[in-house]
Amino acid sequence: MPSEQNKSREQKAAESEVESFRKELGPFVVAAETTRMAMVFTDAKEANHPLIFANDSFLSLAGYGRDEVLGQSFDFLMERPADPEARLKVDAAFAGSSENEFEICFRRKDGGMFWTAVFISPILDKMGDLVQHFVSFVDLSKHKEEEDRLRFLLGELNHRTQNTLATVQAIAVQTLRRAANKEVVDAFEGRILALSKAHSLLGRKHWETVSLRDVIDQILQPFGLDDRRVIRFSVKGDDVRLQPKAALTLAMVFHELATNAAKHGALSNEAAGKIDIAWQAEPTTQSDRIRLRWQESGGPTVKPPGRKGFGSRLIEGGLAQDLGGEVRLDYEPSGVVCQIIMPIRRESGR
Amino acid sequence: MNSPFSDRRILLVEDEIFVVWLLEDMLADLGCAVVGPASSVNQALAMIDAEAIDAAVLDVNLNNEPITPVVEVLTRRGVPFVFASGYGRRGVPEAYRQNPTLQKPFQAEALAQAIDAAFAKAAAG
Repeated sequence: MPSEQNKSREQKAAESEVESFRKELGPFVVAAETTRMAMVFTDAKEANHPLIFANDSFLSLAGYGRDEVLGQSFDFLMERPADPEARLKVDAAFAGSSENEFEICFRRKDGGMFWTAVFISPILDKMGDLVQHFVSFVDLSKHKEEEDRLRFLLGELNHRTQNTLATVQAIAVQTLRRAANKEVVDAFEGRILALSKAHSLLGRKHWETVSLRDVIDQILQPFGLDDRRVIRFSVKGDDVRLQPKAALTLAMVFHELATNAAKHGALSNEAAGKIDIAWQAEPTTQSDRIRLRWQESGGPTVKPPGRKGFGSRLIEGGLAQDLGGEVRLDYEPSGVVCQIIMPIRRESGR
Repeated sequence: MNSPFSDRRILLVEDEIFVVWLLEDMLADLGCAVVGPASSVNQALAMIDAEAIDAAVLDVNLNNEPITPVVEVLTRRGVPFVFASGYGRRGVPEAYRQNPTLQKPFQAEALAQAIDAAFAKAAAG
């Protein structure tokens, strides 16, 4: 502690300010001093908002002694050089903006940075004049660490899911190889792989949203989507983001459509057939929806299948039940047409 | 099946028994002779010393043991190899990310392409 005569004039002023503060607010000051939430009071009458009170939690968060911060401007606490955007936010909050809660980066005495959620609130005197600001800080370091940990665990879970799907594939193939024909085994393997690709894509996007275009690319890639020698696909549409469930179901649907096309439809003959996939996003009053059309052409003449298999059940049932969409699957002689209308959640801030 | 690598001797390093069976069948269908399987790094290293092998298919993580020592020996000897990993390319040791890598699960066709790519890479130097 510096001796009495070493104290700066500002600090003495700040201390006398705190004294009068303590007298007026009594038990509240004790509460503010001992609470685990880091908080400071600043003097609103000075342009640089000097600190006139800092509680123990704040001092241990920022690593300063009390004498080192009282009388210092609020800027003193911020990272250097301060992010101009953060400066603007702080200035606006001190000037009375209703946007008075945000996350900013501060600087410890030892130079280390720390993120906190700050809350800046004006304090008025009996006359209704602005005299001070109350600023609280919620330390986000733990939160950020926890976020990193969760991200790591999610990554680990994603890999394990892939390994588990590989085991499921292996067990199924071993179990079925004597009992079922190759076509059945291949169909099963293909479906597990489509599911795995959708999982992998979602895993890379942290199970938030994925683009419809990416889902189509992943699923159709084994069917020759990227084949530069023979162009069999045309894929066109708006930038649409899908929720995980919609992405998984659509991935399986595209896999079934493409498998069917490879067996009986536009991908079953040499180079003549083509598949056009096009979609638009349509805003409606409640939510957005997409209208997608899968159109095959140039393949052998289409005959409707005798009974409904896994594919058409998934396409017609899965989309309607899982996603609240409407599906029309038409076996037109010139080529299969699948039309999908389904709601998508509207993106905020996009 | 006749394939570009009929009768090639492929070392299989994988610790998950069902996946071993599946890969053994896939490799047999490609006409390859399977060496192994090895389910640990030490086992794999012993097999590389004892047996003639043309290429290897490697799981990247053997019961929490990284595959790196096996990869180093194979690289030194100029033996081509393919990674098979539930982690995809990100599960592969940093220095070997350019190597052909299979994201588990995969089908026989992808395995054949990866082995082909590994041989091509080795031939190119």
